[in-house]
Amino acid sequence: MHDDEQSDVQQAAFRTSRRGFLKGVGIASAATVVLPGLSLGQEEAAGTPGLKEFGSGPLEISLKVNGDERKLSIEPRTTLLDALRTKLALTGTKEICDRGSCGGCTVLVDGRAMVSCMTLAIDMQGREITTAEGIGKDPGFAPLVDSFCEHDAAQCGFCIPGILVRSAALLKEIPNPTPLEIREGLAGNICRCGTYSRIFDAVEACAKKGGVA
Amino acid sequence: MPMSGEFKEKILAPLMSISTGKDLKFVGKSILRKEGIDKVTGRARYVDDVKTPGALYGKTLRSSIACGRIKKISFAPNIPWDQFTIVDARDVPYNRVLQIESDQPVLCDGVVLHREEPILLIAHEDPGLVETAIRSITVEYEREPGIFNIGEGRILKQYDIEEGDWKKEFAAAEVVFEGEYKTGAQEHVYIETNGFIACWEDECLTVHGSMQCPYYVHKALKYAFKLQDDQINVVQMTTGGGFGGKEDFPSVLAIHAALLAKKSGRTVRLIYDRAEDMASSTKRHPSISKVRTACTKDGILRAIDFSFHIDGGAYITLSPVVLSRGIVHAFGPYKWPAAKLHAQCFFTNSPPYGAFRGFGAPQSLFAIEAHMTALANHLGMDPAELRRRNFIHRGDTMPTGQVVDEDPNMEALLDRALELSDYKTKRARWKRGGGKGISLSTFMHGTGFTGSGEVYLASRVGIATTKDGGAEVRVSSTEIGQGTETVFPQIAAEALGIDISKVSFRRPETKVVPNSGPTVASRTCSVVGKLVERAAGKLKQRLAGADIRQHYAQHGEAYEEVEYVPRPGLVWDDDKYKGSAYGAYSWCVNVAEVTVDPVTAMPRVDTLTATVDVGTIINPVLAHGQMEGGIAQGIGWATCENVVLKEGLMENHHLTNYVIPTSADAARIVVEFMPSPYSEGAFGSKGVGELPMDGPGPAIVSALNDAMEAKFTHLPLLPEEMLK
Amino acid sequence: MRSFGYAEAENAQGLAAALGKGYRIKAGGIDLLDMMKERIDKSERIVSITGMTELRGIKERDGGVAIGALTTLNEIARDETLRKAFPALPDTVCNAATPQVREVATIAGNILQRPRCWFFRQAEYNCLRKSGQACYAVAGDNTYHSIYPMGACHITHPSNIAPALVAVGAQIIASDGKNPKSYDIRDFFLTPEQDLKRENKLPQNEFITEIFLPKMPEKSAYVEVKEKQSFDWPLAACVATYADKKWSIILAHVAPVPLRATLAENVVGEKADIDENLALQAAEAAVKTAQPMAYNGFRVHLAKAVVRRALLKACGKDFHA
Repeated sequence: MHDDEQSDVQQAAFRTSRRGFLKGVGIASAATVVLPGLSLGQEEAAGTPGLKEFGSGPLEISLKVNGDERKLSIEPRTTLLDALRTKLALTGTKEICDRGSCGGCTVLVDGRAMVSCMTLAIDMQGREITTAEGIGKDPGFAPLVDSFCEHDAAQCGFCIPGILVRSAALLKEIPNPTPLEIREGLAGNICRCGTYSRIFDAVEACAKKGGVA
Repeated sequence: MPMSGEFKEKILAPLMSISTGKDLKFVGKSILRKEGIDKVTGRARYVDDVKTPGALYGKTLRSSIACGRIKKISFAPNIPWDQFTIVDARDVPYNRVLQIESDQPVLCDGVVLHREEPILLIAHEDPGLVETAIRSITVEYEREPGIFNIGEGRILKQYDIEEGDWKKEFAAAEVVFEGEYKTGAQEHVYIETNGFIACWEDECLTVHGSMQCPYYVHKALKYAFKLQDDQINVVQMTTGGGFGGKEDFPSVLAIHAALLAKKSGRTVRLIYDRAEDMASSTKRHPSISKVRTACTKDGILRAIDFSFHIDGGAYITLSPVVLSRGIVHAFGPYKWPAAKLHAQCFFTNSPPYGAFRGFGAPQSLFAIEAHMTALANHLGMDPAELRRRNFIHRGDTMPTGQVVDEDPNMEALLDRALELSDYKTKRARWKRGGGKGISLSTFMHGTGFTGSGEVYLASRVGIATTKDGGAEVRVSSTEIGQGTETVFPQIAAEALGIDISKVSFRRPETKVVPNSGPTVASRTCSVVGKLVERAAGKLKQRLAGADIRQHYAQHGEAYEEVEYVPRPGLVWDDDKYKGSAYGAYSWCVNVAEVTVDPVTAMPRVDTLTATVDVGTIINPVLAHGQMEGGIAQGIGWATCENVVLKEGLMENHHLTNYVIPTSADAARIVVEFMPSPYSEGAFGSKGVGELPMDGPGPAIVSALNDAMEAKFTHLPLLPEEMLK
Repeated sequence: MRSFGYAEAENAQGLAAALGKGYRIKAGGIDLLDMMKERIDKSERIVSITGMTELRGIKERDGGVAIGALTTLNEIARDETLRKAFPALPDTVCNAATPQVREVATIAGNILQRPRCWFFRQAEYNCLRKSGQACYAVAGDNTYHSIYPMGACHITHPSNIAPALVAVGAQIIASDGKNPKSYDIRDFFLTPEQDLKRENKLPQNEFITEIFLPKMPEKSAYVEVKEKQSFDWPLAACVATYADKKWSIILAHVAPVPLRATLAENVVGEKADIDENLALQAAEAAVKTAQPMAYNGFRVHLAKAVVRRALLKACGKDFHA
């Protein structure tokens, strides 16, 4: 329904003013500010055997996300969460606590569910990354997506992409989980609207109907 | 989409059988949430998902003291400050946040009244640099002693009620029983933090944000910037939960973002991280209640003397109306021949407390319900029986002067809840102090604004025909998880007599939608929904059976708008604080079953059963979801959500140390609806959003008391307290 | 997060070189990134060792079990050998943090993680461990702090797995890039009395390569008490193991180091089978030296409960009350 919401946002701004919302567009970083202590030895790239040094500045890397090889410029400190959201416009991965405690930013890395906020993007090169958007497009996971919708597992919806990803990994690991396995398996995701029982039911129903592929 | 068999059986089947008394096509059906698939697959756009190339990132410098004066603000020399946008109080055209009153400054102007009070705003293209820069600013203060206890500071608001000869009743009473009840603050932890994006062009301001009430934000922006209505557009993005936390607080944030955008001439993103959000945003008002009751030896209530005190924090915000809702609910669903109530809200040097699901009612209902159970124990009666003897009925008058003109049916709700939970057997079997406990609460919650609130709001709702032969609902009532985008199309489709697939919901933005009031007070489905029903009816009349597509082709968009009209006979006197506080009440009974580890005192809520009358159910799955969610938050408030306050500041402002229930802690929740339709609510509906927050607290604390053979009268009730 | 220089170590030699240049090691990164985001760890150089796959895995060796430093908590939780031979060990981590965190968090990272004290974890509090002048737990909210005084700082040790390793006297094998070093885990951790700023003896120029468990115990059990069932550090926990006619009783999350309850060990002596009465006596002995602070007295009860329950559980007995 909101596929083109991005442009909706701009239109809304235009209703108030003609050029307003896009004013910033096209103004490239005016100046790069260098603060004390923030620039670090690029100069040390000279070889030490067994050690690859990258410095602290921007780097070109490549990430395999949802089956596509994507090139992007990041800094070493860029988390996978930031890279996905700000560099690759994959905003289905949510920042909730930014400390690994809530599961909102869960992605699959080589099929395993991890928190992308506590993972550095640079460390993820060569790994297969799957986000909620990727799960949503994968026909193998369609039964899980349908089951979430049928059970009204999402209220405000902010936690739910992360829960979908974690559930996908869970059903891959354990195709027919017991209620306890589902409960414990989803213990790393918090929901404040309190739809836990819907989520448990959605995962269980999906498994009973043949699971995911 | 087909429903899975198990789900149909477990949740829907009992709900589907609810009869609305009419042959309805969409109302009463579990239509799947329209935006569900977008939310599940991450396509729904929340404010932080909006791309704004070239925008600046904003951050707020906040006070590190609770009370005092700012002496000096110094900026570390080695930062190129000219590359940052910095805003202080002098940059605000009118330095006040308009809520009910306008006492709160947008930015501190020399005086600090609470920890985390905003002092400066700063923005830069690089969010990392903003973070570093803000830590390079030093504020020197002249400290003054703060006030942090309820009752020590100035009175923010006070109400008094006296009804009947309460003095005489107490003097003549066979039994007088009293107790003190306390409730703690509670943090919303809406899963999406607060955030706004602001930009200006040609003296016009557009803000996109996460919020419950677009027109509250509009009003506050207009006031602070001295603008005209049409200079502002407030756009709600998909909002990741609110629970009251995005009722008043977003106004402050929107002004801040707009200030930075104005000064920089750029688009500015002001999105809080979790720690800042938890430390600086509003919380549920802590409360202290003293309840004294007079009754006969058989437990027939004769009089109540209730003193209700809440902590308002440093500014007024919504405290007067939180206090007011607390008062009306303080008497519970019981008949009182005489009553006295003294209610006060106090200023302290805490960050302002604000709206949180229930809005004062959970606090006063905790007191009266914990008191009723304690009184039953004192009388040697079953707590269910004591309540049964005192329920209010049609024709009775509440202490606030409202004559009950509907049938609360509390006995039926009680019977069914006791039956569903097997209360009698368990109560007989589980010995006091044996580690297992079962107890209950019986309560109500008023639908919509308290007193004359709805009259002042004068909400308006619009509906328009669309090119494709359908209709579009235009309201400022927001979808924040409760299902507005689905429920309103259900109501409109029913009233218009067209298919639900043809009815769309316009995302709220103030340039486009009329002001249907704030998304608060359990008013959306019932009160605003009624306006949707009326507007759709009016549009249907105008179309006079014409095919919408053809009508649109010939005449263009047909648009109808209606305004709220109070229910006839519904009168409230603000000055005397008397009259009909609400058009209708929702009624509910909760039974809580708990297990406590006898050695470690670690509690577990096993099952929470709720029998509920919220009028006609428009959408069973969504209504059920509201009940489950509210109960889950009530369980958290009762058992683990401990806001540790130091100088008024929430010290544990992280998700790692503020404990909310996780999936591994989730209780079994049983909900059964027993609707009695309300004539003035949409298709007979009443409010459902807040009701479930009211009952779990007292039922759980009483059940824990039984399990541990204790007499606790406060919440959260933590294991360490039970061990002492 | 602040900017930092980044490197990847491909082998021990490269890693040693990185340490020589002042790099700080990132394995799973869970604790390090948390500390950096809170601006408590101000490392300017980070070396990732996730590519050193030779440091990962669980192997049987020399009659014991060697666990590579980069073995994840989930790998340990799921390991069949450990599950059979030493169930308390996987039990300590199978509910630690969250499933997603356990997927990347490593055993070495878990042993070396910094304290969870909420004053230590907030940059606003310049506490003793951060070179400040005061321990804020003394006058502040000390619900989650130590109940066994061991100096001026009142942290509890946060590692979930360390107590199980202490129970069986594991060896921590480290390297400086040239020579292997071995530390007895029983004397690897430092109390605040010994050192206010460090929680263990690992020098800056060394890194852990594996944890070696020389012998599996005959009996073992782990019992914990938590406030919430996910992403929470226990309020108290205990590992009890029995081997060679000796019990090891290790209390966790109640003191600045995994705490060997020697008084309790003396009470149970050589007895392989412990009854309710003896378990209770041992539990009482274990908390004899406890000195709780203003808000954490209840955790003495919890410590007592977990000791008693761990002993009974190790003997295959129920502990309903």
